[in-house]
Amino acid sequence: MTIEVRVPTILRKHTQGAKAVSGAGSTVREVLSDLESRHPGITGAVVTENGDLHRFINMYLNDEDIRFLGSLETPVSDGDILSILPAVAGGR
Amino acid sequence: MEEFTIPRSMATELIEHAQAEYPKECCGILAGPPGDPQKLFRLTNTDPDPVMRYNADPRELKRVYDAVYEHDDWEILSIYHSHTHSPAFPSPTDVERAFHPDAVYVLVSLADRASPALRAFRILDGRIEELPVVQSEEVKG
Repeated sequence: MTIEVRVPTILRKHTQGAKAVSGAGSTVREVLSDLESRHPGITGAVVTENGDLHRFINMYLNDEDIRFLGSLETPVSDGDILSILPAVAGGR
Repeated sequence: MEEFTIPRSMATELIEHAQAEYPKECCGILAGPPGDPQKLFRLTNTDPDPVMRYNADPRELKRVYDAVYEHDDWEILSIYHSHTHSPAFPSPTDVERAFHPDAVYVLVSLADRASPALRAFRILDGRIEELPVVQSEEVKG
């Protein structure tokens, strides 16, 4: 299935400036893998070398943080919207 | 030179948020049309060490983005946080975690609690540029 993926400003350099792109797959990980084939670099920015979701990237399937679902193995369905939001973080 | 304009009442609210969370760091977002912050969203700092760092609650963050998305001309204009024991200047951690190149980073220092300092910065590709802060009298609306 194909879903909409909303891309934050910092990652739009990989999507030719597009705010939203389409990705196909049955899980979040598969959708990201599909995105990578057309938008090289995008997955490396959100997934670590170990294959985990980057600590400072939040990803939401519709309204829910995927960390509270099945993380990158969360299944997706037609019509879902996957939103990528970098953390709002820092410190002294 | 680019300036950062914030309604005086919003600057006051932001400093009140910082004081309320002291000695923890506060964090939040200012949103509105470009150059015109109209709403302040307080966010919960969920970092395990909130005196030293901040990390906004991801669920609250999503709700703020959704609220902003509903307004055609609104953007996330600014991300603010407090430094409770150091100056109002981006720390190396702030620069490393500046994931929002389109936002102005506003810092409040409560190193002197009786005299809070508020400053604004762009943080792009590891470079810090300070913006003059202009406090306007009213929300333009």
